[in-house]
This record gives sequence, C-alpha cells and structure tokens, in this order.
Amino acid sequence: MARVIDLHLHSEVSDDSRAPVEAYLKWLARKRDERPLDGIVLTEHRQFDTQSDYRALEDKYGLLILKASEVETEYGHVLVYGVNAAMLQRFDFSNVRLRAQEVIDEVARMGGVAMPCHPGRPTIGLIEHYENRPPLEGVVGVEALNGGSKKGENERVAALIDTYGYHAFGGSDAHLVSFVGICATEFEKEITNTEELVEALRAGGYRPVDFRVRRAPAQPAASGA
Amino acid sequence: MKTLYFEEVEEGDELPPIDLLLTKDFVRTYARTAGMDFPRFTDDAGARQEGLPGMIAPGVLSMGLLARLIGEWNQAAQITRIGTTFRSPVLPDCHIHLLGFVTQKDIERHAVECDIWMENHEGERWVIGTATVVLPTRNP
Repeated sequence: MARVIDLHLHSEVSDDSRAPVEAYLKWLARKRDERPLDGIVLTEHRQFDTQSDYRALEDKYGLLILKASEVETEYGHVLVYGVNAAMLQRFDFSNVRLRAQEVIDEVARMGGVAMPCHPGRPTIGLIEHYENRPPLEGVVGVEALNGGSKKGENERVAALIDTYGYHAFGGSDAHLVSFVGICATEFEKEITNTEELVEALRAGGYRPVDFRVRRAPAQPAASGA
Repeated sequence: MKTLYFEEVEEGDELPPIDLLLTKDFVRTYARTAGMDFPRFTDDAGARQEGLPGMIAPGVLSMGLLARLIGEWNQAAQITRIGTTFRSPVLPDCHIHLLGFVTQKDIERHAVECDIWMENHEGERWVIGTATVVLPTRNP
C-alpha cells in the first residue's frame, strides 16, 4: 500500500536514461529518511513497457512499482496512467505529434487518465501552448511540482491551477538514479494498484510534496583554479 | 587528490562537490584554445545575434568539468564512458556547482556508475549525466 508516490520517472527503458529500476529502489532505501516514498510510477518516454515484471522487486524492497507512459502532443508532454491494450491499439505512443484532446478524451473513455507534465516548461509544457490555443477540455490535474524544472517553471503552474482549478501532483522526472523521489505526490487514500491510482488521480485528494535538500555551497574558486 | 580502490568505494558515496566561479574570460580562453572561436562562446553581442541570452560555455567544457569532478574524487579513476544531457545553456560569470554520487558497483569489472551534474547557485541543473569509472582493485 502506498500514500507517497513518485509519479514521474524514467528507467533505462527510456532512451535518455541509464537508470536500472533496482538502482532506484536501492537509492530510495538508502535515502528513506530524506525521501519517505512508498512507491514509484515508471513513465517511459513514447512507449509503454509491456515486458518488464517488477513484482519480485516490489517484494524485495517493499515498494509499489507501477508503469505508465509519457507521450508527446501539440500541447506538450502528457503522462498517461492506466495504460491498457485498447489505448496501445488506439494510439501510436511513439508519435511525437499526438493530439492532446484526443489523448485526454480517449484515455479517459478507456479507463485511464492523461495528465500534462512540467506545464511551465517552454515548448514541451502546457502553459506556453495555452497562450496560442484554446484550453483543453477534461484535464483533471497537472504536474505542479517537477524535480527537473528550472526557476519559475513550477511557480507559473500555480497560476494555471488557480485559473482552471486543476488538481496538482508532483514527480521527480528522474533520469538519474540519485534524483528518484526528490518530488512526489502524497495521497489521502492508500494506493495498491494502477486502477486505484487512476481513480485517485481523477477524484482528487492528493498534493505534491518536495523532498529536495538544498546544499550550502562553499565559497567558489575561480574557474580553472 | 587521493587514490581510492574499488573495495573502498560504496554505493551512495558522494563525490566531493566542486564550487566554481565560471568566468567569461575562462570560457573565452577555453573556446579559443580548443579551436572553437565562435561568437556564441566568446562574445555576448554575437551570441545574442544567434538567439542566445549571452555567451555560453561549450558543451565539451561542461563535460570536461564533470570529468574533473571524478578525477579530483579519485586520481586513479579511469573514465571509460561519460554521457551528458544539456538541460540549459551554461551561462558564464556565475557560480556553478559540480556534484555527483556513486550509484552502482560492478564487482566483475571493478567499475562504478556515477551520477554527475552541474547546477547553478539556485539549484537549477544545467547539465546532467552519468559516467562509468573503472577503479584499481586490491584483489586483482
């Protein structure tokens, strides 16, 4: 059962990460005091990982491991939770020009939920596209806290949420082992499987949580010193 | 600098951070020395004409600084692979921090995987990457 879950991270299955899933789990075990996570959701880029079976790792590390996808649309990147065979038949997840409204509508109809991620990021985030296009219908929530965001990106999302009343969630967007769980989502109800995750994401009752630790830098030397 | 053997290194070890003031003069000197004497690396006005916010550091400089992070952690480290993703232009005349961790050990190869990254003083990660590093062993 899980209440605190990192809803956005990439393993070596994605083309831009070399992180094995077990290395993430070992890191979370090591950092338990700093990042008290109960589970992770692997959101591989432009694909759904139908091959990997993480049940043995779940048992070994006592963490919930779920699978999802990060797809690309004309409104930016979107996380798809509750991916099933019908969705994979309906959409080519490798297509980088999926239609966002279709993804949101059809994923919902087929039993999942599609939620924009890092909406404050230029080009691949929702906010920039809302400046030139009509708002999407049926968006239930957005990633308000992304561990890879730069200054100002997460702050811009607060205004988006105020305007549209979206639910807010968080994820690390980790591509490196040591970044897993730096941002996550805390749910009011326990989550034990993908169906419960989808139901909870649709209903609300969750919030982003930030586990980043700011280090105090030493006095810097001049470059090359 | 010191020598660390494979047996003395653990998963989770932090590479000693390096904090630097990356100056424009240093970036210009590097770019010219490396045969990369282009406005984007040497001149603010020229860089802006290319649509950049100002002169930037060459990617290979950032990668070299991250390799230095590993070399200063362990002078016996042999980097056999290094890969980086450039999340944002590296803008000189600012304080940067080079950070890293040992994340995995490969007993058969006496190698470790390291996460390595460069961030600015506000914690924005400009360059992230990983490296595979072979270490000397006490049990050859």
